[in-house]
Amino acid sequence: MEFKGKTAIVTGGSIGIGATIAVELAREGANVAINYRKHDTEAKEVAKKIEKLGKTCLIIKADVTNYNHAEGMFKKVIEEFGGLDILVCNAGINIDRVIWKMSENDWDNVINVNLKGYFIYNKLAVAHFKEQRNGKIVNLTSINGLRGKFGQCNYSASKGGIIALTKALAKEVGKFNVNVNAVAPGMVMTEMAKNIAPEFLQKAIDETVLGRIATTEDIANVVIFLCSEKAKHITGEVIKVDGGQYI
Amino acid sequence: MKVGIIGIGHGKFGNRSDATVQELAFEPFKEAIEDTDNLRREDIDALIVGSVPEYHMQRSLPGVVAEYVGVNPKSTWLTEAACASGSAAIRTAYMAIKSGVHDIVAVIGVQKMRELSTEEILALMGRVGDVQWESIFGTTFPGYYALYANRHMHEFGTTKEQMALVAVKNHFYGAMNPCAFFQKEVTKDRVLGSEDVATPVNVFDCCANADGAACVIMTNDKLAKKFNDTPIWFEGLGSASAQMSLLRRPNLVEIPSAVEAAKQAYAQAKVKPSDISVADVHDCFTIAEIMAYENLGFCPKGKGGKFIEEKQSYIGGKNPVNVDGGLKAKGHPVGATGVSMTTEIVKQLRGDAEKRQVPGAEIGLTHNVGGIGQYTFVHILRR
Amino acid sequence: MPFKYFGKINFTPYTKVDKFSDYLQRGKLMGTQCIKCGERYFPPRADCLKCMDNTFKWIEYSGKGTLHSFTKIYAAPKGFEDIAPYILGIVNLEEGGRLIAWIKDIPENEIKIDMKVKVVPRIFEEIPEIKLYYTIEKP
Repeated sequence: MEFKGKTAIVTGGSIGIGATIAVELAREGANVAINYRKHDTEAKEVAKKIEKLGKTCLIIKADVTNYNHAEGMFKKVIEEFGGLDILVCNAGINIDRVIWKMSENDWDNVINVNLKGYFIYNKLAVAHFKEQRNGKIVNLTSINGLRGKFGQCNYSASKGGIIALTKALAKEVGKFNVNVNAVAPGMVMTEMAKNIAPEFLQKAIDETVLGRIATTEDIANVVIFLCSEKAKHITGEVIKVDGGQYI
Repeated sequence: MKVGIIGIGHGKFGNRSDATVQELAFEPFKEAIEDTDNLRREDIDALIVGSVPEYHMQRSLPGVVAEYVGVNPKSTWLTEAACASGSAAIRTAYMAIKSGVHDIVAVIGVQKMRELSTEEILALMGRVGDVQWESIFGTTFPGYYALYANRHMHEFGTTKEQMALVAVKNHFYGAMNPCAFFQKEVTKDRVLGSEDVATPVNVFDCCANADGAACVIMTNDKLAKKFNDTPIWFEGLGSASAQMSLLRRPNLVEIPSAVEAAKQAYAQAKVKPSDISVADVHDCFTIAEIMAYENLGFCPKGKGGKFIEEKQSYIGGKNPVNVDGGLKAKGHPVGATGVSMTTEIVKQLRGDAEKRQVPGAEIGLTHNVGGIGQYTFVHILRR
Repeated sequence: MPFKYFGKINFTPYTKVDKFSDYLQRGKLMGTQCIKCGERYFPPRADCLKCMDNTFKWIEYSGKGTLHSFTKIYAAPKGFEDIAPYILGIVNLEEGGRLIAWIKDIPENEIKIDMKVKVVPRIFEEIPEIKLYYTIEKP
């Protein structure tokens, strides 16, 4: 029970990787708050799973690009659970286009959700972690933030930006006993991924050296590790969880 | 056996960028020898230097001073007790003579402070408290005395005006002292209107960092009359220490080492505070003089402000204090101050102080405090 | 947490009581107590002033106290010019002991001798290096 008595926020925790992270945190004893933008049914499913584990789950409708929504969410979490110990930023979108077909909106939306959204939540968490001289932040990035991906000028830029944000922030908050790290998945088998054309999926599998792509649990396990005491001396680090897709 | 002073010398205090530290020391040394009747330099059998070494590029001052004034191969060494180094050196000379180890001892207090910048001096002098727990927050020497002043004002109602009157008095007398750094009088308004240094201490509440040197030559009663018709005798010497840090003092309205040293001196000399004809006290800041009146028993505790208001420390008052200008007008070359005070008292007791003479001065007192009160030396002298 | 991280400029990086800065970084104000005679000290000291024994344990101080004196420093020493003017206060701690530190968070016209205050462990936030200190604030 690594996180007994602790509270965590997971953005984008209603589906995919985020949902698994939320459930696994609860399995280790944490109370969890997740936000959703439109997947309210899925959010309620996650909450049910968490309650079955004997923990409490708050589901809050919030657009991660909206500072007021975020402030409101943190306020509710502190009120309801009495504190905050862990932030996992996971909410992200992609709008893939080659650059000559990428509109300003295509760029702005991806950067706002993926990068600005992380800035907002990291900032609000730090305000709290600074006072209590304790905290863990894990930002979900991607191997496509470490390398460039065709058709993902916006996505790669945002994911690369998350890595730099993570490193800069780690330098600022280390003195307050706060660890900030990033996890970089490769291709992950989520509900969304099931809609990808089979030949692209196969291409991804071929890129790995393990001959398979990640499950959401593979990603959640590393996030859990980074939030645990075992990782207390790791900060400003990026851990790839990609089966060797990008070495 | 009594110990007395047979020769005194005092250089010009101030901005002495014209001389090295040993050249500065030479001036009062020569004057002191000439002040005696036929003492030869070779008759001096030890030279004690009072100085605070951290201010000088020259390492090991007594060595270079002894060589330059020409007392090699006589014994020489340094005595240091922060701003009370001069008096500490005099006490050491007294002990050397009284014990019979030396017969004729010259004491030179010398200091060059202006080799360092103001910020460097502020930092250096600010480290005179507890460096481990205080200097880390940027304490300064005026800051420490400001902490005394604020507490004194709170407990006794002492005012900034009363503090300013100390500066007015000392500059009034300093204007009559050709060796003083500052030769002009100041008004109360000028003092009160000067810049803040560390509230409530203004620029004009502070003594100035100065360069300078002074010298006394001491000997025993067997030899004294040979070299001077009017030796001035040490009647009582008091010396005490107090906690370095204000954090561990019993209170912030007096300097306990001064109270204790004064008690010892009065007891040995068998005199009372009201018997003191003239005194030179350690007015590194105006509040320090006010506290000195109280610590020396010139007035009751807390009434120091009233004492200066009533002009009791002027010539003609109950206890004339710092009628040579004090540290305020003379400047405070830290190692030299104690010796400078002593030369003034000797002048007064000989009747040689001219315009600044306290009529009929019989018994004089010097009060020399080191740092923020960790050392005090009180000497009582008599004709 | 090395003792040299304590203070804006630290002059004594090595001390027998260097655990003080460990505690300070964790938000605790700690003094020492002599094991032999029970005498307590703030600021902490390793060698008992009273009985000269050198075994001690760490005890926590609440930081509550009264303001014994203060001054506003205008002429700052080398290394502190960038924060001048600043206000230094001496606090008598409730459990005994005394310290000197900056007064922050109390408007100047409200600072009065003998007022109740609280000493709070702080970390210099706006710089990359770790520097620890404590401030005098409203209780």
